[in-house]
Amino acid sequence: MSTPLQVYEPFRAGLPPLRKYWRSLWSRRTFISEYSRSELREQHFDSIFGQLWLILNPLMLSAVYFLLIVIIGGSGGAIRYGHLTASLFLFYLVSNSLSGGVKSVTAGQRLILNTAFPRMMLPISATVIAFFKFIPTLLVFMIMRTVLGLPFGWEMLWSIPIILITLIFSLGVAILISTVNVYFRDIASFLPYLIRTLLYLSPILYEASALKPELRVLEHFNPLFSILESWSLSIVHAQTPQLSSMLAATGWALGVLLIGTYFFLSREREFAVRL
Amino acid sequence: MEHISFYLGSVSSLSASNINHKTGDLAVSVQNLGLTYTTAIDRRPTLKARVKSLGRGTKQTRVVQALDNVNLDVTYGQVLGVIGTNGAGKSSLMRTIAGIIPPTKGRIEVFGSVSTLLALGIGFNPAMSGRANVHLGGLAAGMTRKEIEDHFDEIAEFSELGDAIDAPMRTYSSGMYARLGFSVAATVQPDILIVDEALSTGDAHFKEKSFNKIKELRSEDRALILVSHAMATLREICNDVAWLHKGKLVTRGNPNQVIDEYQDFLHLGKSSAIDEDL
Repeated sequence: MSTPLQVYEPFRAGLPPLRKYWRSLWSRRTFISEYSRSELREQHFDSIFGQLWLILNPLMLSAVYFLLIVIIGGSGGAIRYGHLTASLFLFYLVSNSLSGGVKSVTAGQRLILNTAFPRMMLPISATVIAFFKFIPTLLVFMIMRTVLGLPFGWEMLWSIPIILITLIFSLGVAILISTVNVYFRDIASFLPYLIRTLLYLSPILYEASALKPELRVLEHFNPLFSILESWSLSIVHAQTPQLSSMLAATGWALGVLLIGTYFFLSREREFAVRL
Repeated sequence: MEHISFYLGSVSSLSASNINHKTGDLAVSVQNLGLTYTTAIDRRPTLKARVKSLGRGTKQTRVVQALDNVNLDVTYGQVLGVIGTNGAGKSSLMRTIAGIIPPTKGRIEVFGSVSTLLALGIGFNPAMSGRANVHLGGLAAGMTRKEIEDHFDEIAEFSELGDAIDAPMRTYSSGMYARLGFSVAATVQPDILIVDEALSTGDAHFKEKSFNKIKELRSEDRALILVSHAMATLREICNDVAWLHKGKLVTRGNPNQVIDEYQDFLHLGKSSAIDEDL
């Protein structure tokens, strides 16, 4: 008798066979790139004006917030403005991944009901899309910091591992929230509140060092705190970020990705009957 | 049986398996299959509704016993029709064979590449064009870009969509959806083709065309599994019919015999109404 090409058996411990799962996820990577590309094309980010909007939107936002800061009595200045813009750009990577990820599974209904594939491709694509949207804003910031006359230095290279950590974190939250949305379809409408809260709790409108010591506890509850603190130090101030912040950021990112992945995989079997 | 999954060079379910199948070789083996799942009672469950009903003790979910101890072997060269009333578990059976829903009990072995055309067909993202959706659907099913490119013209031609293939799918009529879905499933030359209720969509012309295509696809080295309520069609195409009722396999065998039995069971006799599409 020949060997079967596919065998389907009940899951052990509620999880699909992982080795097979990763292999099949890897073999579908063209789907992820093709899907992200057509999604971006769909949102017109392949055109000049589409890309311009991508940059204009956070740029205008940072201008508005800067105005706010100056009016309520904060100090202005090039560093302050650079910090605000750079932090907002990175924050947008997380927030785009969240808002793109939330409906990724429920929107893939037709595909999920009709085709066998590792469902995790869908939230992964959402994060890839968010990353593609982030790249041009990074370029804009590099030009902007030159114009603003911010210090340059090798310490800025720390921003590369920080982007990586942010990506891991974004992927984790996208996977997590896409699963939750299968069970509670109105999560997307709570998302703006969540994102707003995260924005104010993170060192974006203010610098982490300017925070009152008693408010520093925020650091321990907000996963984005240490990420954004390190980010600003390296890319705005051209300084080496603190080791403790980097470790905390990595811990948070990996933790969220691990929990999100476990949650997703343990629920994935149900998606086809829940949609 | 862990070694079996290691054997898989490529885990893709649709790329050509390059194995020549002979008539009588096993294509699908369903062993003691049981499927139970929990589904939400609300079509669109929300946190708001959940919070509002807190403390009321209203049930949010329902347990469905979709399949119960089903044993079914399909061999190459066989054209198996699956019949049964609504809720008999026909679609659940097709989805477990296709690997879309993992079984709760038992085991399914599939000896070949599978193409599915289940009730909903394609159209993953309605905002994208038919072309983009065909590509994405194919990639998700594990085909390579080249395999899709190779088949694309044939798919587009068979679907008779013309220029509409490049229009967003939300502008399609339900018939156009169905036509494109059928064209994809039937064109990729799978070893095993699963078609669920898709023959009765489209206009008379396309119905005829898809019917002929199915006939053409009947071959020695392919297995077809058709779920349909169109008894006349099944009598004509199938060489084997399985009747499911409430998740259990009732009988299986000669199409005319099983269909007669099923129609007697429905107390409807051989009226032309059920011989045709229902």
